[in-house]
Amino acid sequence: MHLRTCVIVPLLALVTALPARAAEELNLFGWSEYVPQTVLDGFTKATGIKVNFETYSSNEELLSKLVAGAGNYDVIQPSDYAAEVMIRQKLLAPIEPAKLPHLKNLDADMLRRPHDPEGRFTVPYMSGTVGIVVNTEKVKTPVKAYRDVFAPRFKDRLVVLNDSRELVTWALYTQGAPINTINAAALAKARPVIADWVKLVKVFDSDSPKTALLNGDVDVGIVWSGEAAILWNTDKKFAYTIPAEGAHQFIDVLAIPASAKHKDAAHKLIDYILQPEVSKLISDAFPYTNPNREARKLLSAEALANPASYPPPGAKLETFRDIGRAAADIDRLVTDLKSAR
Amino acid sequence: MDALPATGAGAASPTAADARRAGWRAWLLLTPVVGWLVLFVVVPTAVLFVYSLCERDELGRVVFTFSLESYGRVFDTVYVRIFARSIGYAAFTTVACLIIGFPVAYVIGRATEAWRQRLLLLVMVPFWTSFLIRTYAWITILKQEGLLNGLLQLVSLSAQPFDLLYTPFAVSIGLIYAYLPFMILPIYGSVEKIDGSVIEAAHDLGAGPWRVFSAVILPLSMPGIAAGTLLVFVPAIAMFAITDLLGGARVPLIGNVIQNQFLQARDWPFGAALGMVFMALFVVTYWLLLRFGREEEVA
Repeated sequence: MHLRTCVIVPLLALVTALPARAAEELNLFGWSEYVPQTVLDGFTKATGIKVNFETYSSNEELLSKLVAGAGNYDVIQPSDYAAEVMIRQKLLAPIEPAKLPHLKNLDADMLRRPHDPEGRFTVPYMSGTVGIVVNTEKVKTPVKAYRDVFAPRFKDRLVVLNDSRELVTWALYTQGAPINTINAAALAKARPVIADWVKLVKVFDSDSPKTALLNGDVDVGIVWSGEAAILWNTDKKFAYTIPAEGAHQFIDVLAIPASAKHKDAAHKLIDYILQPEVSKLISDAFPYTNPNREARKLLSAEALANPASYPPPGAKLETFRDIGRAAADIDRLVTDLKSAR
Repeated sequence: MDALPATGAGAASPTAADARRAGWRAWLLLTPVVGWLVLFVVVPTAVLFVYSLCERDELGRVVFTFSLESYGRVFDTVYVRIFARSIGYAAFTTVACLIIGFPVAYVIGRATEAWRQRLLLLVMVPFWTSFLIRTYAWITILKQEGLLNGLLQLVSLSAQPFDLLYTPFAVSIGLIYAYLPFMILPIYGSVEKIDGSVIEAAHDLGAGPWRVFSAVILPLSMPGIAAGTLLVFVPAIAMFAITDLLGGARVPLIGNVIQNQFLQARDWPFGAALGMVFMALFVVTYWLLLRFGREEEVA
């Protein structure tokens, strides 16, 4: 009798629990190094919904996996221009604002940007810029613009993102050209500038550009602001500046794929992340610019003083628009110039 | 089940030709391998080939419209130059691995049984750690404030730290380090089989050390050297992680270019075309090697 209860009761519990558990699941597909595990654990504790977390390391990887339908994702985390293509290709489901009571916490400045002009499909997660970081112990003169960075005196002392579009964007900024108009004429004009630049660079690294700076192998870099913020937190000698000519601002958003099976749970996760206390946890771990006004009030004075996370207002910032097939032209140009050295 | 004794009885009196030809049971045993090859080599290659003949949409996805545009672009000077450089790096790595690896393999192969096991273990120990972690270890060694520079300054060989990381030197070190075991192991396999009495006979017949090496040892190690060369050259030519991590991604090699087509450049057909040309290059080289080898045998 005792033995039987020992076996049957757990079995029954298992059988009855299985369908319930299956309904309470959610598949999140997000950037690596961008969503703290504590946030996901907190969500599961608060709602009972289990989160299956899978990561990617570039927007293009997300795009290809989403269109291949390899997985059924419920929440994804594209950057602005990737979200723009997804909306155009009808890959995203509309957000239901009624299910997001905490949506009001977001900074209005981050909403209804060109990638999603009506704000129907995306909810900002974090934002950042691409700017100049300088090791002020080694470099005493100010470095304020792309032209200052790509100077002969910094030959072999530079790290920049290993991203062809970023390089082209910086070149276009120095020429005062629009950064989202990529055509043969614009690329021909940018070509000699980039040709000179790539000869000066020591390291191209998008994954962890801070490493070369921390290791002392280079003194100046053009990096993601989040990387610069971590550098500043490690050592105040790493100063961050938005380039005078203008800078690329990115807004990474949360969105729900049209094919998502758990749209309700997806809304619950997005709203959970919008709560100020939760959003603050994300800022603590990954010090990008938090678009959540209420969460910013909870941040420490030191976090808010980090120039890489919260650059002084007034800088010229622009987001990327999708350039479609021109991506291949940019890649060919930069590959050509890099292999010419 | 009852078929087994019957076939067993039939196999008792095979003709000579039957014994040499593979029976259906042999093919049955090969099914997993053949299935594996079809599923993971033939099918993906066919997919790649079809993709390489297609066009792309704005996301870089394949659109099934016939086009030879991608193949035309492969022979653009930009990519031909990168192909040539990649072959150069791989050839250098292969030669360096051969020069370093041969003596090592020879010593292991001629050592006593107990020592042979220990030395072989040492060659294989690095495989217990992930390839990426071992490459990161080289960053720690080569960086400006790293172990090697620290050591050099400690023994005051140099006042200024050397620029080691993010140079072709670092890439070469990384490549040789990663592929050396693939050269040592096959050569060891050949060297171990060399009959000691053959070498003794050469000495007895008056051959000097160099003559023994060039006329006896080297030709008998040839199968291992050939296998090692292929095992090092082929993967080295397509490597992209080492050039990114230790070379600072300054000079693109063909592996980087192909990887880019599937991600940043959003041009799958072009990436597929590069892959196909790459594969064709290997097939032709291999075929030439085989032909060349056979002619030599005849001569």
